[in-house]
Amino acid sequence: MIKPENQISLPTQVPTGPRLTIPLRFRDRRRITIMLTLLVLAYITLITLPTMIPSHFKLGAALMSFTENIKIMFLQPHLTNTTFLTLLGALGQSILLAFLTTLLGSVLAFFFALASTRRLAPTPLVLGIQSLMAVIRAIPTVLWVLIYSVVFGLGADAAVVGITFHSVAYLTKVYADSMDELSPDSIETMQAMGLKKGTIIRQAVIPYLVSSYFSWTFIRFEINFADAIAVGAAAGAGGIGYQLFMSSSFYFNFHEVGVMVYMILAFALVLEIISYRLRSVTNQ
Amino acid sequence: MLTVNHLAKSYDGEKKSLTDVSFSVRSGEVTVIIGPSGAGKTTILRSINQLIRDDEGEILFDQIDMRQLNRVQLRRARSHIGMIFQSYNLIEPLTAIENVLHGCLGTKSNFAGIFSIYNNREKEEALKLLQKVGLEEFAYQQCRNLSGGQKQRVGIARALMQHPKIILCDEPIASLDPKSTITVMDILRGLAVNDGISVLINLHQVDIAREYADHVIGINNGQVVFDDRTQALSDAAITGIYRKNANLEGSLVHES
Repeated sequence: MIKPENQISLPTQVPTGPRLTIPLRFRDRRRITIMLTLLVLAYITLITLPTMIPSHFKLGAALMSFTENIKIMFLQPHLTNTTFLTLLGALGQSILLAFLTTLLGSVLAFFFALASTRRLAPTPLVLGIQSLMAVIRAIPTVLWVLIYSVVFGLGADAAVVGITFHSVAYLTKVYADSMDELSPDSIETMQAMGLKKGTIIRQAVIPYLVSSYFSWTFIRFEINFADAIAVGAAAGAGGIGYQLFMSSSFYFNFHEVGVMVYMILAFALVLEIISYRLRSVTNQ
Repeated sequence: MLTVNHLAKSYDGEKKSLTDVSFSVRSGEVTVIIGPSGAGKTTILRSINQLIRDDEGEILFDQIDMRQLNRVQLRRARSHIGMIFQSYNLIEPLTAIENVLHGCLGTKSNFAGIFSIYNNREKEEALKLLQKVGLEEFAYQQCRNLSGGQKQRVGIARALMQHPKIILCDEPIASLDPKSTITVMDILRGLAVNDGISVLINLHQVDIAREYADHVIGINNGQVVFDDRTQALSDAAITGIYRKNANLEGSLVHES
């Protein structure tokens, strides 16, 4: 964290005298700090990399088996232990898990965001909610699911609560940021007309928020879909992640893994198309 | 109608941005405040509806001191004070008629505000007001698609929807082209003459003030330096109003 007084210290006068080139920026302390940090990190990386490779490591053999596995997964995908319908059902479960948690998260986060916007809420409340949400966000979704599985037991319940929990914290921040970006003028104008707070939020804040609300919620849906897959494997929440875990770590059947990866990729492509359409609709 | 007595205001506690400002605004008249940038014109206007809380003084609006009102009373008083802004301050994604209807929400419940519940009488009035400012065919257009002059006319219709006794205009024409300027100023003048509304306008353009004002108040450095009928606004008086910031503002005055 850079202290405010150490931030950009621009010279007040343009340096005079003969110069070969005209600089676009002055060399300020912040830029020098960033450059030094990068240099130190590069040095550490260079000396650590050789020591990381163990003595029995054979690069050639490792590369060979890597390409072999990739080939099995992506060029020879087929099913032996399970059926395509089962996997489709499992994919559906993961999608529904992502949908449910996003829906719950976006509704709850909307109200938290209103209470953590500086223009609408008292400062102690804003700071309280923002720091609580920052703490929740700092812990990864999968960990939250594992924490909740202590209460609910491993399975779908813990997954729903855990993913929702992290979604609320994430969406609260992005919604509140979008609200803070709004021009204060429209809120002030409404106050000047003697409108009540609820009316101001509905008539002056929400109209500007609709498009960013949808796009952020959709991004979170994509994140939640990825998390739902991870959680299915890690916390036994079912869905395509659980199937993926069984095939890859239990049966070592990389042909099946390939099928599932293609299914997930196909759905990700569908999401991408939907988000494109959504953008062109909300931007109108 | 509106009387301001001994209004003083400082933002940082030391430097006064207003010192002892007193003037009054009569019903059915256009009163224009002129003066150099930073003289305190906006502060005066915003103090009247208490968007800026002043430090000292008295703001009598219909014999009630705006400074003494509690939150609920202030909200009620504000619902009958129209305000027009340089940057229009419409809710751009909403349609013109929705923006005009916001003007009547001040006297309605939060429930009506949240669910946008308006009765037919209110909708008819909104359409009539849009007609009055010549925008009836734009009623269902999103405001972000309107031109600057059109937006300002929507802003005026919104203010009228409040059934205001006074309309405060903060640099209403500063972002407009000459043709829109005349349209907007004609409408504002009409409101005073025909509807008996007091119109208080902050202006930069002295020639516009001369043409449209009944009464002119000159502000310089947080003080009233001119307060008289428009006829008395001689060239010498204008030079006096803009005197102290001669370097910055002198050229502006000569241009206009």
